[in-house]
Amino acid sequence: MTRTQHTAERLIPGRGSLARRQAALLRLSTGIAAAHDETAVYRSVVTGLHDEALGYNFLGVFLLDEEDGDRVLQASVGWPGVPDAWRVPHGRGVSERAIEDGKLHYTPDVTRDAEYLPSLNSGSEVDVPLQVDGRTIGVLVVESSEPNAFGEDDFEILTAAAHQAGIAVGRARLLEAERRRADEHKALLDTMQDLVGELQLSRVLHAVLERAVSLLGVTGGEVAIFDEERQELVVVASEHIGKDSTGTRIRLGEGAMGAVAQTLEPLIIPSYHEWLGQSAQYADVMVHSVMAAPLTIGRRLVGAIATVHADPQRVFGREDLRLLNSFTPQAAIAIENARLFTAERQRAEEQKALLDTMRDLAGELELSRVLQAVLERAVTLLGVTGGEVAIFDEERKALAVVASANIGKDSTGTRIALGEGAMGAVAQSLEPLIIPSYHEWLGQSAQYADVMVHSVMAAPLMIGRRLVGAIATVHSDPARVFGPEDLRLLNLFAPQAAIAIENARLYAAAQQQREYFETLVSNNPVAIVTLDHDHNIVSCNPAFERLFGYGRPEAVGRQLDSLITTEATRTEAVAYTREALDHPVHGIGRRRRKDGTPVDVEVLGVPVIVDGQRVGLMGLYHDITELLAARRDAEAANSAKSQFLASMSHELRTPLNAIIGYSEMVQEEVEEMGEPALAADLQKIHTAGRHLLSLINNILDLSKIEAGKMDLFVERFDVGEMLEQVTTTARPLVDRNANALVIARDGELGVMWSDLTKLRQMLLNLLSNACKFTERGTITLRAERARTNGGDGREMMVFAVSDTGIGMTPEQMDRLFEAFSQADASTTSKYGGTGLGLAITKQFCHMMGGEVQVESAQGRGSTFTVRLPARLDQPAADAPGTD
Amino acid sequence: MPKILLVEDNEMNRDMLSRRLARKGYEVAIAIDGREGVEKARDGAYDLVLMDMSLPEIDGWEATRQLRAAPETSALPIIALTAHAMSGDRERALEAGCNDYDTKPIELDRLLAKIQALLPGVA
Repeated sequence: MTRTQHTAERLIPGRGSLARRQAALLRLSTGIAAAHDETAVYRSVVTGLHDEALGYNFLGVFLLDEEDGDRVLQASVGWPGVPDAWRVPHGRGVSERAIEDGKLHYTPDVTRDAEYLPSLNSGSEVDVPLQVDGRTIGVLVVESSEPNAFGEDDFEILTAAAHQAGIAVGRARLLEAERRRADEHKALLDTMQDLVGELQLSRVLHAVLERAVSLLGVTGGEVAIFDEERQELVVVASEHIGKDSTGTRIRLGEGAMGAVAQTLEPLIIPSYHEWLGQSAQYADVMVHSVMAAPLTIGRRLVGAIATVHADPQRVFGREDLRLLNSFTPQAAIAIENARLFTAERQRAEEQKALLDTMRDLAGELELSRVLQAVLERAVTLLGVTGGEVAIFDEERKALAVVASANIGKDSTGTRIALGEGAMGAVAQSLEPLIIPSYHEWLGQSAQYADVMVHSVMAAPLMIGRRLVGAIATVHSDPARVFGPEDLRLLNLFAPQAAIAIENARLYAAAQQQREYFETLVSNNPVAIVTLDHDHNIVSCNPAFERLFGYGRPEAVGRQLDSLITTEATRTEAVAYTREALDHPVHGIGRRRRKDGTPVDVEVLGVPVIVDGQRVGLMGLYHDITELLAARRDAEAANSAKSQFLASMSHELRTPLNAIIGYSEMVQEEVEEMGEPALAADLQKIHTAGRHLLSLINNILDLSKIEAGKMDLFVERFDVGEMLEQVTTTARPLVDRNANALVIARDGELGVMWSDLTKLRQMLLNLLSNACKFTERGTITLRAERARTNGGDGREMMVFAVSDTGIGMTPEQMDRLFEAFSQADASTTSKYGGTGLGLAITKQFCHMMGGEVQVESAQGRGSTFTVRLPARLDQPAADAPGTD
Repeated sequence: MPKILLVEDNEMNRDMLSRRLARKGYEVAIAIDGREGVEKARDGAYDLVLMDMSLPEIDGWEATRQLRAAPETSALPIIALTAHAMSGDRERALEAGCNDYDTKPIELDRLLAKIQALLPGVA
């Protein structure tokens, strides 16, 4: 546009002094600055300029309507009759020029301008653009009835005023926008508060609608939610539309809300009843114009909102739409939240039902069934494709899959190491885990390479901090992902599943134990019967049935003692039973079988206590009929043996005594008579007799030891005296092979409490042996008290007999203490002896709480060492013959 | 000359022992069972009794107890003779009231030593 900018050439007439003008300009500035809103700014501009000192009489401010380009009058002075919001159409009037190029235009003579719209003041006109942030929003128009009324000074003043006004308007608009935003925010907050406070969907939507109505200043409105299943809108809130439309169902495309629900775009209908798309269901409502918008979450339709003006004067403009648009997402979210809440509550109810089911399952207790059920529940609740449950095998430190659903294969029985795959990972970390893409996951298990799984969510199953298993759920659909909500649900599950596993495990252990004991009882050869407090039979085992001849059915429920006792033993049996309710009783008695025959039994009665409660008693019957018979036989045999030994000892030794005694006596007489040749022969008879006697005596001793008839006689004696006696007795033996006897007494020997006779016999045995196998050597008998060598701290006496004789090989030493075994069979003929002496010595030692050891090297002699307690208080516990 | 009462049921033992003791200078009287032994010991003045323990009628243990119980024989030295040094025989003998004991077959020197020890004026 090319318009000439005119310059005033003379002052406006009647203009006041400079000082007055400046004061007027100051007032103008102050007025503009004090304006609180846009309207006040425009008013202060025109009133401020309309001052005697300035001389502007006809003024107006127009704003540009950006939609149609019209100028709309905001404030004016000196234009009486001009309507409020007078619109000057786009394309008409000189003032449009300032708007178009943003510059001041002066028209010195309007009458000569073809575009001038005739007004009251047809003279000259100055048009100054109003600009905010460099953008022209309107125009300040100053007119004079005179042509050529304005000059440079005027242009300066008016430009300054317009500039000030522009700044003020920009500020006012910012303020207004802030205020509006604050209002909107408050409205939203109010709505949200409602959401938080009251989450029932219809009430929420009523609240949403009420806010919308009040915020938009409309007559009324409606909110509908989208029923995805039926693809219809359902009106759930209705306000002042002339009827209660709640419950109305609206097809997609039907009416205002149906239209926006289909297009997903907002819509303004200036005159509803003239609108072609109107719905028959709304033919009767008092509606003039309608503004409707879809309610969406993303691109997903959740409902629609419509607001209406019943007043034909009111129209919906862009600002209304903007407001509605800023509102609808929040309303949609409110609907969605309410929906989610409802879904959530539904889910909570499902969970409750689930938990109840789990509680029922806890009663089920069969592990595989429980876990399969748990898994199926989890799959349903989480809406996943499938899953697995594994239990933790503490012994092998590995998981074992026990339930599997829909993961593309039956993984039951799969063993998973700690750290292997999803479940192995959570079992190790003890933290839940979401794997968005399993087959791209580095931790995936080779055992699951072939399953149809996309994403996985797994959690450990724990009791306290103890791992009992793991659960995994999977999506095979790549579109589905696991989120925090899923994790929350799984975490809800995990403890229940863990408890189920633990219960089932405890139950299985208890069952196993019960089966174990049942097997133990039913296979036990001992008759076992359990009784209640009243001595009635509760159960009995097969051995009981066999022993007493009563079948289980005829025994159970009957009084035990009336069943298996005779009159003679009843009292005793009842006493046992009564006692056994309190403490274990043990005894031997005779009972009666079903067929009346007696049976000798060993009875053990014990109270049965469960969880500290005495519930009855258990009776164990061991059939000792055979045992008693065997014992009688054994006793008879033993007695026969003892009798035999006693008679042998007597019958053999009486004639021997005669042989020995007479040969000795005759030898003495012959010597006196001077017949040495006869004496030598008689000596041989005597020696042979002595040998035979010692053989018999040794055999008798061993027999008695073995029969347990050898008793200990413990007495106090002086060890030194005992050694002298032994030495004296052994002297002839020592001399026979020209040996020397050395008695080595180490320290004070003192007294001993032991079996003197046996000790003497042992030492004589050892000396006799030493003498027998040594020629022209030395026999040493060493004796000492060994104060610290007793295994239990007892003081020990040590007697050692050493010789310098032929000695023994290790093999010979092995058999040394066995009866009838001399080191070598050939030695018997050469050296004589019975081979019983060392066996008896060993047995005596044992009886007296000690031991005998031998050290020897062939050709270098032997040492036999006897160690005995210095004080034998009582016969050694394990010695034969102590019973 | 010390007077010894030998109570012994076995004829050969009796004969053998009495002869050997006689040759050593003792005056030996014989009883052939426990009862006779007790009776003779009460009647005569013996310096010592050699008492076999396994005797008919009343055995050596019982005979010893009876002698100990009677005032006139309560201090009479008695040596028990047992068949074998069975453990317990010695103790039983001493318990019954014997002063000493020895085992058969008799070793004369050993027995003589025990007799000497018990005779009055020697111990």
